Amino acid sequence: MSHGQGRHHADWHVDEQQARRYADGSAPEPDAWSLETHIESCGPCAARVSASVLRGAAGPVLDQVRMAVLAQATAAPTRVPWTARMVWAAGPALRGAWLLAVVLTAGGALGLAYGMDLAWAHPLLLALAPALPLAGVALSYGRHADPLYEIVAATPSGGLRLLLTRTAAVLAVSVPLLTAAGALMPRAGDSPRVPGAAAWLLPGLALTVATLALGSYIGCRLAAGALGAGWLAVVLLPALPALPQGLGEQLSQLVTGPGVQGGWAAAAVVCGGLLAVRRSSFDHMERL
Amino acid sequence: MSARIGAATSGVRVAGLTVRHRRTVALDAVELDLDTGVHGLLGPNGAGKTSLIRVLATVAPPTEGRIELLGLDISAHQERTEVRRRLGYLPQEFGYYPGFTVREFVSYVAWLKEMPAHSVPRAVERAVERVGLAGRLDAKVKTLSGGMARRVGIAQALVNEPDLLLLDEPTAGLDPEQRVEFRALLRELGATSTVIVSTHLVEDVAVACGQVTLIDSGRVAYRGTTASLTELGGTADPTASGAGSPADSPQTSSPSSPIERGYTAALRAHRDAVTRGKQ
Repeated sequence: MSHGQGRHHADWHVDEQQARRYADGSAPEPDAWSLETHIESCGPCAARVSASVLRGAAGPVLDQVRMAVLAQATAAPTRVPWTARMVWAAGPALRGAWLLAVVLTAGGALGLAYGMDLAWAHPLLLALAPALPLAGVALSYGRHADPLYEIVAATPSGGLRLLLTRTAAVLAVSVPLLTAAGALMPRAGDSPRVPGAAAWLLPGLALTVATLALGSYIGCRLAAGALGAGWLAVVLLPALPALPQGLGEQLSQLVTGPGVQGGWAAAAVVCGGLLAVRRSSFDHMERL
Repeated sequence: MSARIGAATSGVRVAGLTVRHRRTVALDAVELDLDTGVHGLLGPNGAGKTSLIRVLATVAPPTEGRIELLGLDISAHQERTEVRRRLGYLPQEFGYYPGFTVREFVSYVAWLKEMPAHSVPRAVERAVERVGLAGRLDAKVKTLSGGMARRVGIAQALVNEPDLLLLDEPTAGLDPEQRVEFRALLRELGATSTVIVSTHLVEDVAVACGQVTLIDSGRVAYRGTTASLTELGGTADPTASGAGSPADSPQTSSPSSPIERGYTAALRAHRDAVTRGKQ
């Protein structure tokens, strides 16, 4: 064996006494050196010396260090709660002015109906309701709406998937809120032409999906603007001469009846199909 | 030329990459072939560095050309998604949501990168530690200084231990000490991943990068090792002035270090070649 370059032959091993003297520091320096050289290549002796050192004064200190290292290494890192994740997924719209706008619209319509006894408050709410999710979509995704957009766009979640998640969040907030506000409207017998509280749901859904489909060509912000303005124009312009009473009648034509509702449903399905075909166009932000 | 793309499963292969923004050409038939290591992307302002990084980050679409990242073709949806899972990207500019803490911000990006939920908390702490912000984990991002916010941006790029790391001007806003620490981190990252660092600071490249690609007016002006660019500076005449070059030319300042002189010389040689080609 060539590694025993010290004065000891390879068949020399550390005995208990030598190990103890080494551990308490009373071994002469040359002995300590050759012991250290030896245990670099001899497992059993290394174990004997190690056990001896642990029994000595160094034992408790080493124990403490070990515990401290373990405590540090196994400490559970702080988790971000799942509620925070929900809010992240919901996107920027729900944290901003849009949520306020939805609450104000629902509350404002109720206030007008009850506080000022205005019969056209309900038609007004129904006219605005389908446009509000569009505004939410426009404020949810894209370079103009999301300060994190550049980072988001380089992740696997970016693109249509995140847009759909955020659209779902927008709908999850606006649909119950606006429908509930509609349902709470006073049931006055004098306005039979006002559609029911749920009548806006299919038009709202169709317009939202249409926004996404059109957005795959021209960007969501522009698409939401165009379709929102288009809807309001179709509802308000013909009713303009007879405002505010004519609003209910005009709305009824647009949303009441199985045929009309079926048309909105068909439009939603067609736009959904188009969106599925165009899904990868959301991967690159340049148009969004 | 475009047939050069190989079957390697790491690094960056770019062939004939052209990017046009309306009528201006941001990148013109760029060829790149980069493997594991730290690669510096140098060039004057407006040369096309950010355009190149954004295409490599799969954020901007190329007008023409083939791009293969980590052996995957990013024009295919599935493969692009796979690349994005293994990608880290620090944009030149980015915002954050006002209420976010450093931990929330980096966790959010980890979530977007589809990291397994159980590994996120530890990965976030490690990434933030690596950029030296461990003490600020629960501070609001908006309360941090510009240099610290920049480092949060680096942390979010690192959080998924990316195989391809793209950093656009990472040292902007860092003070000299942070810059030194950051260059050490870059060398560490370059041991296992392909790291591309765009910068206009020649000394960033000199210290941290093994390879240099010099871009000028959308074209690759020079490719080589940091050592060879430095060597170029050793032979170039530092007193020569570049008459007739654009205003943003590096010749206008007096280059001091060999690598700065090498940068100037390479740029000048490229521009001379372009001018001769036009005549």
